[in-house]
Amino acid sequence: MTDSSPSASSGAPALELRGITKRFGSVVANDRVDFDVRAGEVHALLGENGAGKSTLMSVLYGLYKPTEGEIFVDGRQVEIDSPSAAINLGIGMVHQHFMLVPVMTVAENIVLGQEPKRAGGMLDFAAARARVRELSDRYGLAVDPDATIEDVTVGAQQRVEILRALYRGARILVLDEPSAVLTAQEVIELMAVIQRLKQDGTAIVFISHKLHEVLEVADRITVLRRGKRVDTVPRAGATERSLAQLVVGRDVLLAVDKHAAKAGDPLLHVDELFVRDDRELMAVDGLSLSVRAGEIVALAGVDGNGQQELVEAITGLRLPESGSVVVEGQDIAGRGVRAATEAGIAHIAEDRHRRGLVLPFTLTENMALREYRRPLFSARGWLRLRRMRERARKLLHEFDVRGGGPEAFAVSLSGGNQQKVCVAREIASEPKVLIAHQPTRGLDVGAIEFVHRRLIGERDKGRAVLLVSLEYEEVRALADRILVIFEGKIVGEFPPDVTEETLGIAMTGGDAAAEAA
Amino acid sequence: MTAGAIAEAPTRAASPRAVGIVGVGLAVIAWFITLPPALLRTPVPSIILGLAAMLAGAFALQGEERRLGFIDLFLGPLAIAGAIASTKSGLGHLNTVFVWSALVAAMLRYATPLLFAALGGIVCERSGVINIGLEGMMLMGCYFGIFGADVLGSWVMGLLVALVAGGLLALVHAVFSIHMRANQVVSGTGINFLALGITGYFFTAHYGPNGTPNKISQVPNVKLPLIQHIGFFGQAIGDANLMTWIGLLLVPALAVFLFRTRWGLRLRAVGEKPRAADTVGLPVLRIRYLAVVVSGMLAALGGAYLSVAFVGSFTPNMTEGKGFIALAAVIFGRWRPGLALVATLLFGFSEAMADRLPTFSGTLATLFQALPYVLTLIAVAGLIGASRPPAASGIPYVKE
Amino acid sequence: MSDRDVEPDVEQIIEGGAEPGQEEALEASLTSPARLTAYLRRGGVIVPILTTVIAFLVAGVVVLLTGHDPLNTYSAIFKGTGLNWLFPWVSGTERSAAALALQQTLIQTTVLIMVGLAVAFAFRAGLFNIGGQGQYTMGAIAAVWVGSSLSGLPPVLHIILAIALAALAGAIWAGIAGLLKAVAGVHEVISTIMLNWIAIWIGVYLFQLGGPLQDPSQPSTPVSKTIAASAKLPVFWGSAQLQGLDIGIFIALAAVVAFAIIINRTRLGYEVRAVGFNPDAASYAGMNVRRNYVRVMFICGAFAGVGAAMDILGWKFSLFTNDIQTSQIGFLGIAVALLGRNTAGGTVAAALLFGALLTGTSQRNLDPTVFDPNLAQYLTYMIQGLIVLLVSTDVIALRVLKGGRGIAVGLRRKPRGPQATEESAA
Repeated sequence: MTDSSPSASSGAPALELRGITKRFGSVVANDRVDFDVRAGEVHALLGENGAGKSTLMSVLYGLYKPTEGEIFVDGRQVEIDSPSAAINLGIGMVHQHFMLVPVMTVAENIVLGQEPKRAGGMLDFAAARARVRELSDRYGLAVDPDATIEDVTVGAQQRVEILRALYRGARILVLDEPSAVLTAQEVIELMAVIQRLKQDGTAIVFISHKLHEVLEVADRITVLRRGKRVDTVPRAGATERSLAQLVVGRDVLLAVDKHAAKAGDPLLHVDELFVRDDRELMAVDGLSLSVRAGEIVALAGVDGNGQQELVEAITGLRLPESGSVVVEGQDIAGRGVRAATEAGIAHIAEDRHRRGLVLPFTLTENMALREYRRPLFSARGWLRLRRMRERARKLLHEFDVRGGGPEAFAVSLSGGNQQKVCVAREIASEPKVLIAHQPTRGLDVGAIEFVHRRLIGERDKGRAVLLVSLEYEEVRALADRILVIFEGKIVGEFPPDVTEETLGIAMTGGDAAAEAA
Repeated sequence: MTAGAIAEAPTRAASPRAVGIVGVGLAVIAWFITLPPALLRTPVPSIILGLAAMLAGAFALQGEERRLGFIDLFLGPLAIAGAIASTKSGLGHLNTVFVWSALVAAMLRYATPLLFAALGGIVCERSGVINIGLEGMMLMGCYFGIFGADVLGSWVMGLLVALVAGGLLALVHAVFSIHMRANQVVSGTGINFLALGITGYFFTAHYGPNGTPNKISQVPNVKLPLIQHIGFFGQAIGDANLMTWIGLLLVPALAVFLFRTRWGLRLRAVGEKPRAADTVGLPVLRIRYLAVVVSGMLAALGGAYLSVAFVGSFTPNMTEGKGFIALAAVIFGRWRPGLALVATLLFGFSEAMADRLPTFSGTLATLFQALPYVLTLIAVAGLIGASRPPAASGIPYVKE
Repeated sequence: MSDRDVEPDVEQIIEGGAEPGQEEALEASLTSPARLTAYLRRGGVIVPILTTVIAFLVAGVVVLLTGHDPLNTYSAIFKGTGLNWLFPWVSGTERSAAALALQQTLIQTTVLIMVGLAVAFAFRAGLFNIGGQGQYTMGAIAAVWVGSSLSGLPPVLHIILAIALAALAGAIWAGIAGLLKAVAGVHEVISTIMLNWIAIWIGVYLFQLGGPLQDPSQPSTPVSKTIAASAKLPVFWGSAQLQGLDIGIFIALAAVVAFAIIINRTRLGYEVRAVGFNPDAASYAGMNVRRNYVRVMFICGAFAGVGAAMDILGWKFSLFTNDIQTSQIGFLGIAVALLGRNTAGGTVAAALLFGALLTGTSQRNLDPTVFDPNLAQYLTYMIQGLIVLLVSTDVIALRVLKGGRGIAVGLRRKPRGPQATEESAA
């Protein structure tokens, strides 16, 4: 099943990708990329969103066929045309979005496809359980074989993914953005597991866009930018700054030019808010915050600490259990999206494909999404199509949206331009409070700068802006005040020049002062 | 319950769940005692029992057993009404209709085609493909089964031809749904039309206005020795059709396959999260193809039963919606063979009752025919537990 | 049955060019009926025509296989439709026969338009309304009851009342499914299919021998009472005795116009389409998704109910239990809507096609020496089935559009996603 000759002794790397090119039509996702990994080594693959990391790994895992280039495992050239082929070569992949069956147990998920059997094709559950326990003990990956996947924590699910690869004898393990979904504690545990695997001789590919993590765990670092390999550097001597330069290609703009804030009265005031999530757990647990006119308050925190439910409660998408959301004196908690909109709340949604836009609609129709009920757009049930079109044209011009006119379909625009449409729509509604939920997710640097500039512009116009973001740089660049959310509560307030370390400690529930003591 | 739990429970009376189940039993008894063989002629004990059932339901509700609570609250008045109706009916009528052994036999006869189709439906849907076309596949088996039995001379050949016909139609559904990533509800609807057209066309072309000939080889009944002569059981199951027994045996077989074998695990994985299955190297599309074709074959067998085993002839559109009842049984039975069997028996029973009810009131019996559909509506509305289909059901799989 | 797949992989979207993940993002964010609608609308007119032609070709092969001449058969069917009346060179007895047939065709077209709209409107809202048959049945029951019960009313009033109540009956029946979806999350495919059969059995119960609404003056026939003369729709072409064309056709066309206006120019239509394409975005915009489902189903049921009224008041005049049990008109509505791409104009064209097909193959109009009308009836079902199948995947649409490349979901050896054609060429 796997090639067991340790490549460290033979001299050839466990895995080598040579000159890999992958084209999708006219787009070149990978451009003559070279990459190799030795047994017992952690080689990080670093790059921005869209740099080509995932494509490269999909090629490796047999999901794509490379347009050009070769793959070598332990020095032998191989063809990988399906995940089974990859598995047979000892390549295991731990995806960013887990590939687990939610209703099945841990053991069932791990053995799927290579189940231990008894006579007559029956599944040997006992053997499966035993094997899972064996692997779990050996690598320090604690799991309960009989637990159902949908009932266990995200960290546990990731351990199951890793175990699944190890069960199949993976000697080359690809971890795709593993820390994206973990709490800080779980990240520490993951690093320990990686060390164990290293000692065992596994070759590890660590994909990430987080500079500090890469510096912590990698032996070598390869940077991809726009599909090309920019450079491969050893860990020694690399710094965040040097890596950032490689990743982006120029000196990273750490802060958009902005004046000091001139904050006025609080426009948004959240008081003792309790909100349940889809699993009936209390995601927002007695949270209070306020945002004043003319300031940007950034809500920083690890994903999954209640940000989503908080935003949904403020914008009217979710009914809070108790508490109030007051906009200029009016409590809109639990009164729905329309009430929130009419009170003056605008919402740049986290997911422009699912929430922010109706992709098969035209840009005109999308621009009207928030305000179609206003007299400007409709009268007594009838739509004022001409006015909608005019307004859309105006906004598209003002916000420099490329890719089509008012009658173009939203789906035909690029991601950056789609986000511009969303931003334009929300800003044009002249809100009092602007909620920006991960407004630059999946965007390239140019689009990011655009959004940042507009957010600051809104702040200067006297709006109250609440920015919810997972990106440390973005928070630092935009915020006038930083609030840290942890387990549904605000656990700290910091000025924008706070160190990443302090912020990180607060985000994982620690007490900065106590840590310092 | 552990000893510890019992020890600490002096203030906690019975568990709401147990009380809820007892309530169901009370309601059933409430009605049953007015029917043969007990034939109580006063509704008073039934009313008391029915009320008790409702009380049990209320208790279950406040104990967070919502499902059982509502069921009891529903069954209680129903049982009381039924009991009152029974006591008002003539003894003669009651005795004619409620011949339990004959009812059971009829129930099995009506349930058999549903069972085959439902089992096929479970296999298909468990792999992630919606099969609205069960009706069409049944119809194919219904016609081509008897056609095969006629032309080739034996019921065995007839069943084989039915298998092939159902399998072929299912293959069409599979190609469109899987390979071409069609909208599966729409393609299933198209399959039904196609089957209606094909079977009607070839029937009319081949047999013309006279219809199928008499005395075509039929699937035999299985006369159980010994049991055949024992009163109730003899009447009820002593003379059931061979296919009925095959169907009943298929139920545990399928259950074992789905939940205890490797391929059952893989099938379910494909239906729940095909990408996960793909990632571990399982042939998602091939598994789905197989599942759909198998479901077509099973449904065809169900249809063939109608013509080759039950009636002995074919008329256009003979299945008359049984495929949809089977679909209802799949959902009602929550995609599990055992529960689906219960559902088909329930639906079969209501058809059997509809047959015999004309002695009471000729017209009301017709409404009984609608019972399977009403029950399914109630079931999917969540009154009998949440129905959760396989998560990837209906979504064509796209390999990246 | 869920409509959603995995989250679109944002990583795949690369700025500034054709984006490999875009189509998948589109697919992943849409409800499946919306996906179907989106594809359908991009096909233009060529695609439905091509689909129809292919279906007829395949059916023609079947005809050939059973020893008949497809060309003769189709031409006999065509003569039966009465569409040859449109040809100026047709005259004399042939012309008057064609006129009669054309009236039949248009009568069928009337009801098909209505049941087609009942399905199309739902599709636009992201719902599968498979319950047209049940909604039609309830509408028919209401129409026949109002038509036969109230006497002495002025005709205009009587007709309006009958149509209104038929619409209401259909609307309520569909509304049940809408409510079940809104409140309990029940998938409308299941609920509407179940409701179909429940409606049929209610109808049979009502009009069977001894049933509560059976015609007392025909004690041995399971039929409803005949509607009063004041409830009959006036015939404007042909003779009332020979089932001439009634004004129902205009009502149907008016309904089509209403449909188009609602969908494209009103707030309701905007909301319906938004919900149909993307319920998440719709609720983000403040639309009440669940209330929309109920509203939409209501309107769809009303369409179907009016269709039933057209039939009852226009030419059926009473309702037989046999008719209730064997009618397939609601299901034909599905084919009509799909072939017509769920648009107003398309629905009319498709309704005309199917109306012609039904008439052309009927006992009355098809020359039995050329082709047995009984057989022809089943031929119609086959054609219907083929059309629905072909529409379900729209493989033709996508091939025609992209010239075989791009997102060709068609007939590849190994489906591998959007880039298949490039790879297999490589």
